[in-house]
Amino acid sequence: MTVVGTTPPPRLPVRDRTTAHQRAGGGVSPMLTRLAEERATGVLDREHGTLHLVEGRVVHAESPLAPGLGMLLTLHGTLDAETWQDAEGSADEGRLLRHGVTPGALELAQASALYDAAYFALAPSSTPGRFRYGTAHWLASVHPVPVAALERETLRRRALLRRIWPDPATDAAPLIRADPVAAPAVPPRQAAVLARVDGVRRAADIARELGRPAFHTLVHLRRLAAAGLVSPQPPPAAEDHPPDDAAADPYVALLKRVRDALEAL
Amino acid sequence: MANTETTLKECLASIEGATGAALVDYTSGMALGTLGGSKTFDLNVAAAGNTDVVRAKMRTMEHLGLKGGIEDILITLSDQYHLIRLITGRGGNGLFLYLVLDAKRANLAMARHQLKKIEEDLEV
Repeated sequence: MTVVGTTPPPRLPVRDRTTAHQRAGGGVSPMLTRLAEERATGVLDREHGTLHLVEGRVVHAESPLAPGLGMLLTLHGTLDAETWQDAEGSADEGRLLRHGVTPGALELAQASALYDAAYFALAPSSTPGRFRYGTAHWLASVHPVPVAALERETLRRRALLRRIWPDPATDAAPLIRADPVAAPAVPPRQAAVLARVDGVRRAADIARELGRPAFHTLVHLRRLAAAGLVSPQPPPAAEDHPPDDAAADPYVALLKRVRDALEAL
Repeated sequence: MANTETTLKECLASIEGATGAALVDYTSGMALGTLGGSKTFDLNVAAAGNTDVVRAKMRTMEHLGLKGGIEDILITLSDQYHLIRLITGRGGNGLFLYLVLDAKRANLAMARHQLKKIEEDLEV
């Protein structure tokens, strides 16, 4: 018997994931990576927030979803609201320092607010970002951050949330309390978040009220969701099928949460 | 009053045997500042991992109904000490100092005492 040799089929083209990932600037924002390379100064407007750059480094960030530096400083009594407004209005960092904000406290608060707002500003968006070349932000010298470090941290934060509880629904929806049969003990910082869950407030509202970074509030809410204590408000349903008796059964409720978590993976 | 960088420098300069220090936010797991460490010892990774240590201890204390706060946590390796000191200042809620010590050179009692002093100077 003769063996007929056939040529092996051509190899299928496979996209190299690592290089594709690097080309996309770590998967966060290719535009930001380019701006860092050209050492640009100005303001990058994205759908969920704004990044201020000076010579390619991020010096300040703002997002409607995260409490700003002023709020973090004033809500903890470090500074009164009027002094903050004066300082912001006159763009004078020295005014903050003359009114009892120590340089160390200012640096930590600014770093915390910057990474927090940037997490939201760098979230996937449906509209392209816009960059306006311009002058430096007034807080530019407090805590400049290299773009690569900011992108790395943003990706780490996304992974952290996913690891705690994979369903992102609690990040943006109005939240309701769920009362499991055997409620686990809640540490004080999470309890403060839980106390403000009332069916109306969203994560961003709770963060503003507590004067805490919004990402920290997302972390607490995901832990509370994982413990079965908080869930997103279901959208007002037009459904008219009869109330679900099974929903009252704690085992059914648990199974539903497990199903939801598996689906979200 | 000291800022992050001077605080970490003081940790490494004044504490005998200190090889790395970090100021860490334990909710997000982010190191707000690091100093020292080496290619084989990434302080950012250590910072993120040790937030779980702090959280686990806090949860345990919650379950036990203990009301006292954690001052510091000591982890003893065969050749290193890792010291975690929680910061209690006004705005310092949720931060800790993380210190890596060479066990052969460090004086543990002295290191704890000095780290406490440094924490008091870090007015955040």
